[in-house]
This record gives sequence, structure tokens and C-alpha cells, in this order.
Amino acid sequence: MILTGVLKPRYYALLLVWLVSGCTGMQSGQPQPVIDQGVQSSGPAGQADDRDADAAGLQAPVSQQPPAVLALLDRAEHQANAGDLDSAAATLERAIRIDSRNPVLWHHLASVRLAEGEYLQAENLAAKSNSLAPGNRAQQIRNWQLIADARRSRGDLAGASVAEQRIRILESD
Amino acid sequence: MVPRNQRGRRKSPRRTLWIRIAVVTMLLLAGYLVYLDFHVRQQFDGKRWSLPARVYARPLELYAGLALTPEQLAAELSALNYQPVATPRQSGQVSRNRGTFHIITRPFLHSDGREASSNFRVRIANGQVTGLDNAGSDSSLSLVRLDPVMVGSFYPAHNEDRVLVKLEEVPPALTGALVAVEDRNFYTHSGIAPLSILRALLANIRAGGVVQGGSTLTQQLVKNFYLTSERTLTRKINEAIMALMLEWHYEKDEILEAYLNEVYLGQDGPRAVHGFGLASHFYFERPLSELTGEQIALLVGMVKGPSYYNPRRHAERARSRRNFVLDVLGDGGQLTPEEVSRAKSRKLGVVPYRKKAINTFPAFLELVRRQLERDYREEDITGEGLRIFTTLNPQVQWRLEQVIATRLAGLEQAHGIEADSLQGAAVVTSVQGGEVLALVGDRHAKFAGFNRALNAQRQVGSVIKPAVYLTALEQPDAYTLATLLDDDPLTWTAPNGTTWSPNNYDREFHGRVPLHSALAHSYNVATARLGLELGIEPIISTLQRLGVEHDFQPYPSLVLGAAELSPLQVTRMYQTLASGGFRTPLRAIRAVLAADGMALQSYPLRVSAAVTPAAAFLVTTALRHAVRNGTGRALYQVLPGDMDIAGKTGTTDDLRDSWFAGYSGDRLAVVWIGRDDNGSTGLTGSTGALLVWRDLFAGLGDPGLLQATVDGIEILAIDPLSGLRADGGCRDAVELPFIQGSEPTGWAPCADGSTPFQRPMDWFRELFK
Repeated sequence: MILTGVLKPRYYALLLVWLVSGCTGMQSGQPQPVIDQGVQSSGPAGQADDRDADAAGLQAPVSQQPPAVLALLDRAEHQANAGDLDSAAATLERAIRIDSRNPVLWHHLASVRLAEGEYLQAENLAAKSNSLAPGNRAQQIRNWQLIADARRSRGDLAGASVAEQRIRILESD
Repeated sequence: MVPRNQRGRRKSPRRTLWIRIAVVTMLLLAGYLVYLDFHVRQQFDGKRWSLPARVYARPLELYAGLALTPEQLAAELSALNYQPVATPRQSGQVSRNRGTFHIITRPFLHSDGREASSNFRVRIANGQVTGLDNAGSDSSLSLVRLDPVMVGSFYPAHNEDRVLVKLEEVPPALTGALVAVEDRNFYTHSGIAPLSILRALLANIRAGGVVQGGSTLTQQLVKNFYLTSERTLTRKINEAIMALMLEWHYEKDEILEAYLNEVYLGQDGPRAVHGFGLASHFYFERPLSELTGEQIALLVGMVKGPSYYNPRRHAERARSRRNFVLDVLGDGGQLTPEEVSRAKSRKLGVVPYRKKAINTFPAFLELVRRQLERDYREEDITGEGLRIFTTLNPQVQWRLEQVIATRLAGLEQAHGIEADSLQGAAVVTSVQGGEVLALVGDRHAKFAGFNRALNAQRQVGSVIKPAVYLTALEQPDAYTLATLLDDDPLTWTAPNGTTWSPNNYDREFHGRVPLHSALAHSYNVATARLGLELGIEPIISTLQRLGVEHDFQPYPSLVLGAAELSPLQVTRMYQTLASGGFRTPLRAIRAVLAADGMALQSYPLRVSAAVTPAAAFLVTTALRHAVRNGTGRALYQVLPGDMDIAGKTGTTDDLRDSWFAGYSGDRLAVVWIGRDDNGSTGLTGSTGALLVWRDLFAGLGDPGLLQATVDGIEILAIDPLSGLRADGGCRDAVELPFIQGSEPTGWAPCADGSTPFQRPMDWFRELFK
């Protein structure tokens, strides 16, 4: 991919975070990474990474993920790994068509845009993910982290620190 | 000496003349040959054909949980010309046993890569896909993508059409038969076959006319490709020379491939059918790779005379020609005698001629073209063989076309309206992705006339009101859903002295009404007063933020919908509300590929934050109220009570326009009904457009609105009379969402402090459980 040529190393790192954290969520043997809610399909229902137990009342129910979405996430992961960010984005859009209210999918699309250097779009997509994840603190923290990165990358340092402030509030809640 | 000299002088001019003539002739001839050679190569190397752009619908993705009926799947497969068989054995075939389908898909180059053929079973029960299994191994599949329905083409001016095939995609049986029948020595000759020409000449002399052509495939290609069809000696000589040149420069396979794509095989109205690829679709409605042996034999036989052997006009002639080809194949050992006799016993298999509207969905295709014209030149759109992948969902489109046609006729009958005087238009989109799923611009949807969905500018009436209320609710310090608005008589005097006194539709005034009720019941006076308080410019700016590109005039009557918009523009406005305050540009195209499969352009999903999600949520809540208790309640005469919908009616003066805009969890639709002469329809938004919307959604299997809340929202019980907090002492209290910090703090007079508020058994109950 041509795009990989212009990627700065830190976005590779970001992408890797995504690949480890979000994508499959099925490697249950691994040391528990930051597994995105909603994608986790294994394990008994109700145990889906509900570490924000105090927020559970407000939290949208963790919907049963269709295997189709998991398959597409898996494919997007491979495409992103191979540096084919355009295809990864197209695959994530396919998944969003199937499960359009899944904040995890929007978050991943945001990270692909971030890796492509489309900072504003990345920020908007992360905000969209936030809007679909009311009460889901873990997801919101990941989104604000991405927003902070995107803002910093386009030189909006004040905006980045506002985003980091939001993360601290979410973490202390 | 002199005489010798004289003799020499007398002789030499004649000789030099001849030499000169010879030299000039040779030069001319050489020049001509160089020219011919240039011509031959230039045209063969360059772009050989102008290819129409192909427009595809969205591919159907099958997965467990997808809302789909067996009838819908059957309709999709039928539009794809999948062949119903007892047991599928090759791609493009399907068998069905009630809700279970066994399908072998066609491999297809999608915009994001090649999808291999898949042999699988899908089970459908109770309106959704319940199982998806590999046919071979009973292992389950997570996702299968079908090939997309082709919904149209953009043709070049001269109406040439082709489905280009590559030699490696062509069944070897076809090339084998073609060579055996048309040019046995194709692989060995050098472009012309003198012996065949001689044989043909003799036969023609014997018959006293042209009965046999001695042309090689190369010559036939030259004739079709470079020359006119006149039968003169010069042309014949040119043909021979050019055939030799072609063979000199190019491989046999290149020549054969060009031949397969160039050969004329019939006529579809004004459209010439060139090449085996298109002929296969034209006569059998399936790709070349799916043809049976006898079907291939028929096409090969037709090369000799496509209209003389036209199987639709002259079935017997075509059959004997096909059988002749089969015999040739039998004689050559390419088929066994049994295979020949079995093939001969089969029917021609040609599908009846259907006069296809070249573009099945003209209104949607106009939108596609509009989007393309931003990025491509006209000649690229019609001549480069672009493959255009659109967002069209044929299931939704078919249903929309049908409900508009049926409902408009029904309305005319029920209301005693002159038949065929109403017109309608509608746009359906996906809520989160902004993809245009269906679009109708005329009640006769196949009619490619005035496209009202895109081009009709009509008064919008109350469908504009959510923008007014959104402007208010974005100021949570000043307005909440519980704020009491004044619906008493209003007369507003403009700076120039003219006055404006809006009226309610029911000709009554309602005193102090909660803001959410004023929107739900579409009270004009309360809305006008609110609009004047807010100011017209902020409301125009809200409309623009929502995505409506229009030059609004800043008159107060704008807040009651005195603005003319197209259904597509209204869709943009509701799209942003439906997707939670995020603006997503409406898209009709996902991607464009070049003829060779190279990705040219993609139109990715983009969002931008336009409105705070909490304020958008409040407006959606009020619009839910509007369809539960307000102007849109006729929806629930048909739709299930547990399906949550947000929607707004719109009616203009003298009942000229009937609008309904509404959204469920997945889809948004805007419907307009009116008359082209702008006369009165006799319909309101809820007696007209709403019914079309209802008919549409009654069959889509959409989930209702799903989102219970967004961040930054508090839900409190409110006494509607005072707009203050309620408890168990208040009988008519409702629960309303508030942006945090904006909730009322005081208690209503009815609140007695004894018991907390109990949720009543009303529409809000299921909203916030």
C-alpha cells in the first residue's frame, strides 16, 4: 500500500493497539487486553467485560454480536495488518451496514482514518462512537484517547488537553 | 552518332516514364501499406470499444439474524437470473424448499475485492435468516455475499453494447466449436486461407452468386472491426492485407479474444448485440460461463447469420443450424455420439424476448449520474466501461414503487379525487450510513420523466418545524421539552407595517402547551411565537447545519414551512436528526471501478458533528410523541405498537402538499404527495403521505428506534400543566428527558410529596425501561 509509506510510526502503534485490543476478542487465553465491549462474543452472557458495574444501569445492553460482524472485523484486522487501510475501512463499513449502532465498529473506523492521517474525520467518527455508547465508560475512554491523538496530530494542543481532561473525568467517575 | 543519339533519346523517355510510374506506384503502395499497418495497429492497440458504464445495486449480504422473507430472497435471485433447478450443480443455480434455499453463487469482482463462488444453504423463518451452512460440509457460515443486481447502464450515444469477456473466461467448448465451424485452420494459417477462398469462389461460380464465404476468423474480425460491409473487390483485397498484418503483429489468442467480443450476434431494438458475452445475456439471461453445450452450439451457429438464424424468430432454422454445429463437433471428436444426440434432443433454451427498460430505476439512476458528473466527464461515464457500485436496495425500491402506485390510486378512489391526478415522490435512506436505498420520482416509477424526488421544489409546511424546536432545545438554559409555550392568538407586525396572524390547523388556540406537545400536535401559533423569540436567522443556520443547502428567505413564515424544498433536501434535514446529530452526506454510490477492475474512486462513509447528540435526542423524543399521540398516530393503526418511530407530518395551504418524514432504527423515509399543477390534493400529511410511509414500513421488517438515551440526559416525571416536577400525586404526569442541568427544580402543585411518581401505562413506559 502506498499509504503505509507515509504513515508515521506512532500510528502503526495505534493500529496495533487496535488489532490487539478490539478486533477478535476471541483469544480468551491471552492476558486480558482492553477488550472492547460488544465485540466479545465468547463467555457467558452478562459477563461481557462489565468492569464499569456502577454504570451498568445506564448502559445499553451488550447486544449479541452477529458472527457476520466478527468475521468482518477479523478481515479488517488482516487488511490493516497488511497495510491495506483502504480495504480495512471498506470492510468496516460493510460491518457498520450490518450492525450500524455498534460503537466498536465506529471506533475502529476512526482508528483507520487516524492511521491514514485523516485527523478530523477520525475525531468525528470517534465522537459518533461515543454517541452510540452512552454509559460505556471503557469505550468512551478509548474514543477520547483517539480524539486527543487526532487533535494533537493536527496541531490542536488545547483541544487535545480538553480531551485528556475528559478521560481523567471518565476514569475518576 | 546522331541517329543513335536520336534513337537513344527516343527510347529513353519511354523507359524512364515506365520506371517512374513503377517507382511512384511502389511508393504509393508502400505508403498505403504503411498507412494500413498503422491503422490496423492503432485501432487494435488502443481502446477497441467504447463500453457503457454498468450500474449495480448493493450486493445482498446474507447472515444469521438478517430480516428477510423467502419471497424477498426469491425475488433477488430472480432479478439476478439465478436458474431454479432441482439440485444446484454450478454457479448461478438455486433450489428452494419453502424457507430453505440451496444456492451456488457466482464469483464476482466487488468494489472491495473478488468474492469466490459459494455453495451454501440458507434457512429463513419468521422473517429472518436463521441458518447459513456450507452445502458440502454442514459447517456454518457467518456471511455470504451474493453478486449484485445490475440496475442500469449508461450508454454511449451510438448505442453500442458489450459485455467484454477475457479469453480465459470463455468456455473452451465455445472457442473449440467456433474454430471447428468457422475456421478449421485458424491456428495454423497466416490470416488468409487461399484454398478456402478458391473453394468458395468455385462454389459461388457454380451457384451463380455468393453462397459461401472463404473468410478466416481473422478476416471476419477485420471486416467487422475496420471495414464497412460493402462487397467489392478492393474491400476484399484490403481485408486480406489487413488480416495478414493483424496476424503479423498479434498472437492468435489476442485475435480470437477480439473476435469473441466483436462478432455481431443480433439486435435488441436500437442496440446492436456484439460479442458472445452480451449475446449470452441477451438470449439466455446468464453469463457465458453458465451456458450448456447446446446453448453454446446455438450461439456459434448464429455467427453465420444472426438475423436469419434468430432463435426467437426462426426457431426451426436456428435448431437445425445448432444441430449442424453439434454434428460438426461430433465429427471432430469433440463430443461423443451420445452427447451429440442428447444435446440435439434438448430445447433451444432461449428466454423470451423482454423489452427491458434500459434502466430499471430511472429516478435513482439520475441521482447516481448527478453524483458521477461531479467527478467524471460525460464520455468517461458512457464510454469507459466503468463499474458503478451503488447503494440501491432493490427490495426497498420494489416495495416503495409498489406502495406509491397502489396507495395513490387508492387515495384517489377513497377521496373521490380525479384518477391519475396525484403525484408522489419518496426517498429512503439508511439512518446511520446516509446511503440512499430507494428513490421514486414519479408514481409511475419506470417512467423516466420529471424526477420529483430530486427536482420538485415544493412548500414543506410543518416538516420544517423540528428545525425550529431544535434551535430552541440547543439552548437548554432557556428551553426544555417541558417549557410551556403560548398558543394564544398572535399578531405580528413587520417593520414595514404588514401583519401576520398564523392559525392552527384545527382553527383553535390551545393556551399554554408544553414544548414537546406543541411539536407533536404541530401547533402553528405556538411555533410561530417560538420562532419569533428565537429569531429567523438562527433557525436558518440550524437548517444549514442539518445539511439543507438552500437559500432561505428570512421571513417569519419560514418557521411554519414557507419554503420550497425537494424531497431529497428534506431527507438531508431528517438524516442528521435520525443519526443522532451527526451529518452524513447522502450517498448513492459506494465505489467506482475501471473496466479492468482497478479502483478509481470510493465514496466513503463520512460524518461530522452538526448538532449536540443530546439536543437531537430531545427532538427525536418529541417526534416519537408526534406519532404516538400527535399528528402521526395513524401509523399505529397498522404498525406494531412496540415499534418506536419518530416522524412528522406536513400539510401546506389549501392542502397542496402532503408530507411525511419519519425514521425507525434502520431507515429514514421522506414521502411527498401533491399535484404537478400545484392544485389542492384534498389530503393532509397524515391522510396522504403518512399512509405511503406506513405501507412501506409495514413490510420492511425494520426494528424500531433503539437508543434509550444518550449521555448527558436526565429523565424526570413532569406535570404537563405546570411544566414542573411531578410525583405520585400527579395523575397526568409524563416522563421527559432533559439535558443535564436544564431540568426543572420546582415541584408541581399536584405533587404532594407522599409517593414517588409511578410510570403510567402509556407510551413513555417502554421508552425508558
